[in-house]
Amino acid sequence: MSVSEPPTSAPHAAVAALLKPGAHGATGGQPVRLAVRDVDIVQLLARKGRAEDAAAAIKAAYGFDLPSPGRSAGGDALAALWIQPDGWFLIAPRGTEGALARAVKAAVGDAGSVVDQTHGRSVITLSGARATWVLAKECRVDLHPAAFGPGRVASTQIAHLACTIHQRDAGPTYDLIVFTTFAKSFMESLTHAAEETGYVVS
Amino acid sequence: MIRIDCPWCGMRDEAEFTYRGDATVTRPGANAPEEAFHDFVYARKNPRGWHVEWWYHSSGCRQYLKVVRHTMTHEVRTVARATETPEVPSE
Amino acid sequence: MSQPFRLPAGGHVDRAQNLAFTFDGKPFTGHPGDTLASALLANGVRLVGRSFKLHRPRGIFSAGPEEPNALAEMRDGARREPNTRMTQIELHDGLVAASQNRWPSLRWDLLSLNSLIAPVLSAGFYYKTFMWPAGFWEKVYEPLIRRSAGLGRASGQNDPDFYETMQAHCDVLIIGAGPAGLAAARVAGASGQRVMLCEQDSILGASLLGQDEAWRTATLAALAAMPNVTLLPRTNVFGAYDANVVGALERVTDHMLASPAHTPRQRYWTIRAGKIIHATGAHERFIAFPDNDRPGVMLAGSAAAYVRRFGVKAGRRAMLFANNDAAFEDFFTLQDAGIGIAGIVDPRTDSAGAEAARARGITVWADSQVIGTAGTLALQGARVARRGSSGTDTLVAADLLCVSGGINPAVQLASQSRTPVEWNERLQSWVPGTPILPQFAAGSVNAVTGIAAAAADGARAGAAATGGDAAISLPTGAVADATVLPFWEVSVKGKSFVDIQDDVTADDIRLAAREGYKHIEHAKRYTTHTMGTDQGKSGGLIGAAVLAAARGERVQDIGMPTFRPFTQPVTWGAIAGPNIGKHFEPTRLTALHDWHVRRGAEFMDTGAWVRPGLYPAPADSDAWDTVLREARAVRRSVGICDVSTLGKIDVQGKDAAVFLDRLYTNTFSTLPIGRARYGLMLREDGIIFDDGTTSRLAEDHFFVTTTTANAGPVMQHMEFYLQTVWPDLDVTLASVTDQWAAMSIAGPNARATIQKVVEGLDLSNEAFPFMAVGDATVKGCPVRVFRISFSGEMAYEIATPAGFAETVWQAVIDAGEAFRIEPYGLEALGLLRIEKGHVAGSELNGTTTASDLGLGKMIKKRGDFVGRALASRPGLTDPGRPHLVGIRSVSRGEQIRAGSHLVETGTTLSLGWITGVTRAVELDGWIGLALLEGGEARKGTRMTATSPLHGESVEVEILSPHFVDPENARVRV
Repeated sequence: MSVSEPPTSAPHAAVAALLKPGAHGATGGQPVRLAVRDVDIVQLLARKGRAEDAAAAIKAAYGFDLPSPGRSAGGDALAALWIQPDGWFLIAPRGTEGALARAVKAAVGDAGSVVDQTHGRSVITLSGARATWVLAKECRVDLHPAAFGPGRVASTQIAHLACTIHQRDAGPTYDLIVFTTFAKSFMESLTHAAEETGYVVS
Repeated sequence: MIRIDCPWCGMRDEAEFTYRGDATVTRPGANAPEEAFHDFVYARKNPRGWHVEWWYHSSGCRQYLKVVRHTMTHEVRTVARATETPEVPSE
Repeated sequence: MSQPFRLPAGGHVDRAQNLAFTFDGKPFTGHPGDTLASALLANGVRLVGRSFKLHRPRGIFSAGPEEPNALAEMRDGARREPNTRMTQIELHDGLVAASQNRWPSLRWDLLSLNSLIAPVLSAGFYYKTFMWPAGFWEKVYEPLIRRSAGLGRASGQNDPDFYETMQAHCDVLIIGAGPAGLAAARVAGASGQRVMLCEQDSILGASLLGQDEAWRTATLAALAAMPNVTLLPRTNVFGAYDANVVGALERVTDHMLASPAHTPRQRYWTIRAGKIIHATGAHERFIAFPDNDRPGVMLAGSAAAYVRRFGVKAGRRAMLFANNDAAFEDFFTLQDAGIGIAGIVDPRTDSAGAEAARARGITVWADSQVIGTAGTLALQGARVARRGSSGTDTLVAADLLCVSGGINPAVQLASQSRTPVEWNERLQSWVPGTPILPQFAAGSVNAVTGIAAAAADGARAGAAATGGDAAISLPTGAVADATVLPFWEVSVKGKSFVDIQDDVTADDIRLAAREGYKHIEHAKRYTTHTMGTDQGKSGGLIGAAVLAAARGERVQDIGMPTFRPFTQPVTWGAIAGPNIGKHFEPTRLTALHDWHVRRGAEFMDTGAWVRPGLYPAPADSDAWDTVLREARAVRRSVGICDVSTLGKIDVQGKDAAVFLDRLYTNTFSTLPIGRARYGLMLREDGIIFDDGTTSRLAEDHFFVTTTTANAGPVMQHMEFYLQTVWPDLDVTLASVTDQWAAMSIAGPNARATIQKVVEGLDLSNEAFPFMAVGDATVKGCPVRVFRISFSGEMAYEIATPAGFAETVWQAVIDAGEAFRIEPYGLEALGLLRIEKGHVAGSELNGTTTASDLGLGKMIKKRGDFVGRALASRPGLTDPGRPHLVGIRSVSRGEQIRAGSHLVETGTTLSLGWITGVTRAVELDGWIGLALLEGGEARKGTRMTATSPLHGESVEVEILSPHFVDPENARVRV
């Protein structure tokens, strides 16, 4: 038997299909924008007492320091988000199945556990001047510029669901990272909340 | 609604946490007698006043935290990590 | 269309525009800026409702949220909302409102006959009368009470509007936008901190309206220019909770005929405030005297507000009954507006107010009191008499009787914040004491009355909260002294109400005291005093004073009932918020959900998951046909089932094996790489918690599965022990339930089926035996194959990253076509597991031990694990405990029911119960599993399964729970 190359899979296509292109909800105001990002997501958990080794390995491989609690680091090519003590999400544009996890594992070796979550998490991007207001309908975390901002990360509950919020820019643009099996339910709540300002899917 | 200042995530609503009970009891060692396990599972002081409790930050960093809470007023005085020993006010 | 009581000028109403509305079907007009109450008064409508219990005629009593009488059913059809206060309903074109609590009409209410039997309807009447016989309560008393009492009617239809929530944070929250609140906001806002200002009214200003408009306008403009200040009009703070968190209700579109598209009717705010400034003002209280509820009796400050704010005369000829100068000043406003003045009744012997009144040519009856009112559906006059004299009284003609017994500072929210209240002698009322939380009080709630003084107090509080500068310009306006003569009740015979909404009289309070309900909380519940929608804002303290007198104590010594949320009624729609319909709770879908939909599956909810229950085919005559067909396919050929919902946890680290050894009753450190093992997990008290298979992928890497229901709890359980009990272990945990889709392929042809599509893995029995685990691909998709079985047949589970699920699933279905593969759902899965005697949620029910379920041999003898010590307690090892057995109806066709009790035939003592039943495919008829006392010894005997609820008794055989292949040979071929 021969082992063939994995087919090009689109793990986030089903979630992306929940958003219909066009303008929805109220018109005439300042609509927010909604999109689904096609990304690879890897969970990196430093082994006991090896957080510094894992950080050094990531710095050597990718050129940035793993972020401290409540923060992100890196950039669009590879971003690291703090999600728990000695635990991070590493997020990169979608590549070959499993490649990011293998690369990170190769970098950190036995200093960290690497768990591919590409299919298990979905990233929904909410942006626009009124994005914070829309999010505040269901988000208990203070996202005011005095308390939050670009490069900040918070794991919380939105519409009864676990969600990690990553503010990417001052626009503001928020990445909302949710469990894939709940993504449809989450999207229904988010789009309902966004109808008051209106929302655009391009 | 109480608010809990998670040492990892900052000030968050009670709704993000799951209460997990008395944090002043410690699991006995492997060879401890049955009575010690009985006390660990069932014996509780249920104090009126300051108490140290486990609160699990289930919707946040998934960490078990030691919360020093007043059982009459709900005031939260200290929130510590699982491995720390927070100070408990006498009054 | 004329409004005979509208003043030609003044107030915040736009006389250039007319708004048409109907009340009880009659057309009226009002103006923008009106409330329903002010518009009705402008049109000369006096009678607006009937009282709760006695159905006495009632009129508009106030101009705000303290209104006890003027409750309306607002709007009609599906949008009908009962018990709205007319004093808070903003008038809009097309508004439809109706009075409540009358039948057949407001003027002729048959139930007003209750008034004639009023001596019977005294305090505690319902408790005393409707007690016996018990059966009468449901059939007779309750329907009777429901018809005669109660408030308005709900629409009974789905609300077409929607409601939302808002989560907010601020440094300083100011509650109330009167002089104190606005001044506080001005100072706090200038500090640059995040400030929120909530005002229940539609316009900001409160007592400033119609007084210092220039200061109000300038202050609002200054606040609007501050981006750090959020103004929330139409927003009532209804509750204060721990840690300076408050709840508030914003009435977003209640002032419109219908909500614009995509706009909620109301918004439920949760506000977390660093500091709170209570500028909640005060509610005027009345005085208890006979027939003080007659339409035309009104709070003095409210009558003045109708003039100042709405340009409306609340009557043609007014008189005042008051014990304080501030009320005199309000009354002068009426005189200045051109309302006829009948005079002032003042229980004080002398006062500055009386002097000022006489200077204005107003008759003042000093040292006097009102001992009754005249009129039926509207006030015609009041009877005035000297205090303490038994002599003659004078009937003074008037259609408006303004009343003031002083003010009650609105301490409700401060008190809910655990701030103790203190007695204020000057006001004869409660004020907030020293707060426990970072809070402040300013203005009349803080006993600082008069517009300029209140604003100065607000500026002080704003500065104290923010460190800002309190030196701002102050408004001018009312300055009169709010000091009162303590005067609660006119002690003459008659119906002197202390709670107008609930029809509670001073005599009712005294009766409660005589009958032993002397504690204020008891008297409240016995009489229903302060239990209406107005929460006793005006009359609560009067009832307390009457109770204190009956007890021979001072009012300040008996306290007040505890103030609790809500300060004003909140609709259920707002409380439910967006959490209705599909948003009520989240649902969870597997990666194969769309396939199941296309296949026509019928779905079942299991927790949040929506799972296929069965896949009906056109030829199936009923659901059993379908389920038996699916299960038969598994027993005789091959079936495929979506098992993605099982919890999956990735466990890594040097100490991963040790960690699992401590959490499970089994040993995982001896598990070879590439093998799986069934594991049993106990709670610390020795009861079974969960079960599942754990596979070893590498020396330091395990893949744990849990039951669907316990996926979250098991993860939390693992984290608890790792973080708090054994924090030194090198273990990492990650939930991968969502990452991996999983499918079970089961049946004698399972291997033959998947062999066609699984690449890179030798699936022969020798190379890949029962409990083997290996990585492979299907159509190029990465998969992990587990040879494990829940059905008792030869079976494989194939897990794949969720995005590949449909590709892999379809490949297996195509490969199984030759064997007539059937997808099977939760129902067939349940059938198969009962036949095999595999335990599931009904048996792992939080009361069973390993030995109860025949799993005793899974408990290792050596080493510590969670639950070890307490599992060996005598009560948990007693051989008499209910034990897992199989049951089968003796008469094969006879149905047995889950939940039935097992009894010795001919007796009624329950010895156990049936946890699950099914029709079988491996054998004829109905089978089930049960937990039965002494179950082992009873195998081979017969008992009766009885369900008294259904009146059924079925003779059953007690058997081994393993109906299929007890040697477990099939899984190994």
